[in-house]
Amino acid sequence: MQKIIEKLDVDDVANTSVRAETSCGSVRTLCELKGVGKQFGGTWACRNIDLTVNAGEVHAVVGENGAGKSTLMKLLHGVYIPDEGSIVRDGQTISFRSPRDAEAAGIAMVPQELDLFPDLSVCENLFVGRERPRTRFGTFDWKAMQRESRAVFARLGIEIDVRALVRSLSSASAQMVEIARALLGNAEIVLMDEPTAALSLKEAERLFSIVRELCDRGVGVVYITHRLEEVFENADQITVMRDGAWVHTGPSNQLDKHQLVELMVGRPVQKFFHRTPRSPGEVAVKVQGLGVRGLFENASLELRKGEIVGLAGLIGAGRSELAQTIFGITPAETGSIEVLGRRVKIGSPSAALKHGIAYLPEERRSQGLHLGYPGPWNITFGNLDRLNWFGLTSRKVERTEASKYQSMFSIRGDMSTEVSGLSGGNQQKVLLSKILFQEPDVIILDEPTRGVDVGARAEIYRIIDDLANSGKAILMISSELNEVLSMADRILVMYRGKITGAFDGPDFSSRQIGYAIAGVDAPSSDADLRTVA
Amino acid sequence: MMAQTASAERAQSRARVAIRPELAPLVFLVLLSAILGATTTGFLAVDNLVSIVAQVAVVGTVALAVNLVILNGEIDVSTGSLLATCSLVFGAVANSTGGVLWPFLAAVGFGGVIGIINGSLVAFGGIPSIIATLGMLLILRGLLLVKAAVGVLAIDPPSRGLGIDFILGIPVPVLILVAVYVVAEIIVRRTTFGRDVIAIGSNGRAARFIGLPIGRVKVICFTLSGICCGIASGVFFGQIGQLQATAATGFELRVIAAVVLGGTSIIGGSGSVIAPVLGAVLVGVILNGLALNAVPETLEQFILGLLILTAISLDAIRQRLSLRRR
Repeated sequence: MQKIIEKLDVDDVANTSVRAETSCGSVRTLCELKGVGKQFGGTWACRNIDLTVNAGEVHAVVGENGAGKSTLMKLLHGVYIPDEGSIVRDGQTISFRSPRDAEAAGIAMVPQELDLFPDLSVCENLFVGRERPRTRFGTFDWKAMQRESRAVFARLGIEIDVRALVRSLSSASAQMVEIARALLGNAEIVLMDEPTAALSLKEAERLFSIVRELCDRGVGVVYITHRLEEVFENADQITVMRDGAWVHTGPSNQLDKHQLVELMVGRPVQKFFHRTPRSPGEVAVKVQGLGVRGLFENASLELRKGEIVGLAGLIGAGRSELAQTIFGITPAETGSIEVLGRRVKIGSPSAALKHGIAYLPEERRSQGLHLGYPGPWNITFGNLDRLNWFGLTSRKVERTEASKYQSMFSIRGDMSTEVSGLSGGNQQKVLLSKILFQEPDVIILDEPTRGVDVGARAEIYRIIDDLANSGKAILMISSELNEVLSMADRILVMYRGKITGAFDGPDFSSRQIGYAIAGVDAPSSDADLRTVA
Repeated sequence: MMAQTASAERAQSRARVAIRPELAPLVFLVLLSAILGATTTGFLAVDNLVSIVAQVAVVGTVALAVNLVILNGEIDVSTGSLLATCSLVFGAVANSTGGVLWPFLAAVGFGGVIGIINGSLVAFGGIPSIIATLGMLLILRGLLLVKAAVGVLAIDPPSRGLGIDFILGIPVPVLILVAVYVVAEIIVRRTTFGRDVIAIGSNGRAARFIGLPIGRVKVICFTLSGICCGIASGVFFGQIGQLQATAATGFELRVIAAVVLGGTSIIGGSGSVIAPVLGAVLVGVILNGLALNAVPETLEQFILGLLILTAISLDAIRQRLSLRRR
């Protein structure tokens, strides 16, 4: 009896595979993720994700910042170990303990950040971490290494001097070296995390022709991108992720750009914070034609007293760079900044602070706080002169001053010990206190709720709202569309170093903004889309 | 209720004491002194203890300033040659004016100028501090060898007061060490500059993002280091009486050893003001104990080296543990 059931099962599987073959040609499944997920400190970065990698197919994974795409790639590459689900490779469930295991299983990764050694030659870079060919005397066989490197590049159809230092290469060529490194191990699956982010259009085209060739040879390619045009031109399958969850998988020819943006942004967008209506005052800061070569160009914006301007865009669109230029960390090369109608020169953060501009950095731990010191210390050290009495500070005054912020922002936790012991949300409130202790008129907030739990988020939104109501001009950078939509009076969108969109509130069209963020033109007839927002 | 909060606060402040960086060296110093006191006759005599402090006063005085440089995340290895050069200035002025005041001011001024140069090379020239001050170490020693290659420079007893006199029965070197310590403590605890020093050393990016004057703070730290070399040169010359071109060779390493042994982290940003004094006294006690027990002098360096490695390893372990706690 049992035997029959088993047989039936086998037949069933055989039938399905036959069906699969008849429907889309002879497709071989290389690898399957089944319901995988990964959590960090209680929050799931991605959860219950299915993904199938087929031989000869390009599979694009798209989603907003923070959707969990990179985490997914790292699970597939053995950087993280999944907390749920399983990975099936060639019909067998496997678990990777490190990228080395994944490489051994034929899965190679072209990382988002270039992970090359700039002072080694191209050839040496290809062989780092691999078995190097040796001569019979046991020394490295450089000739063989160079021969093998040249062979890989020949396969890719790229001309490159394998003896050149990586430092001397353009970023496009360096990207090619990354790909060559991934191929040297004869990988069957190649993962790419935003491979075209640093490439020009032409270089990207070259990259995709290489990807095509790989696919023709039966390699499966999974790649993350934010450039939606590319997806339709190059991908066979598209998987959409949102907020760490799987949303959609399907052939790319069954979707259009606008449907894709909708899937990414999600709907309906609920406003989770109801801000008080405000009437903005005079212009506090006016920026005209600001630019720093290679980072962003021709940025113009106005911030009024008592308003929140949201700055949306993808990571790498130039938002933080623009903010840091207004704050004087990277002084502007072109353009001008006016504060209260007077043109000013801002060449350093202290100059910016003198003009009343403060900046809440994106990286709380490395750019904002002194983790080994207590809260009051952190809040006051940037502006101790405010408390000083004949040049001498007093611990007591410092504590009193800090406790004002503690009660105002309801910072919970022991303020007399190291801030590293506080939760992310409370650390962020300490950082906000530190910025406000500078008594600024203009506040630039860079991802003010990153790594902050939901409860503390609401409190931080209330603080930001109160600040705007009290007449501060606020520029808020955020990668979370919901956050910008709920908080901002106006929204600016940056795309690839330029301000490409400006939207007035209070009723924003989340779609329109989603299109602008993704660099997609809005559809010609927008009437039927209005209903959602 | 009140009692509860009070006891909670006390528990908290106890916790703070427990993690203070100078605690371990202090405990070690007390234990070592107790052992030496029990085993070695003459060690715990007041005269012996005072003379230990007087002997380490030069290292301690300079280390108090180098401690600030290290807290700031930089390092100064030029102090050996600088101490000797300041002493040369001290001696030269003493031999023309006599007394203590003018030579002292001249040495302090000279040290300060060299400190400003060191600091500017680091802060505005962008040269790593270990390279800038190593260069200065060699340049000054080279100048000394050219200037004073032959023979020795001696000064008259009246000009040796800073090294050998007593006030109210206490050796002047000890008084100077205490005075410099008090000033350093006030600077670090009570001034904006002191706070900036630590802020920059513990997280340079955050310091930059809040607009602290990083360059200026660095220059002042190196300048204080030079000034303390000037102050210490008066004590140094007074104690030795005559100066050779090779004087104070290797002094810079003893200074850094004192700072690190006392509990200041070599990577900057965390430590205490008393650390260099503790470290210097610790070295003094060990050398004194070895001498009183007739351990051959040839073993001194070996034992000090061992001690430094042990101390640094313990610090590294402590840091790793506290990181894990985070």
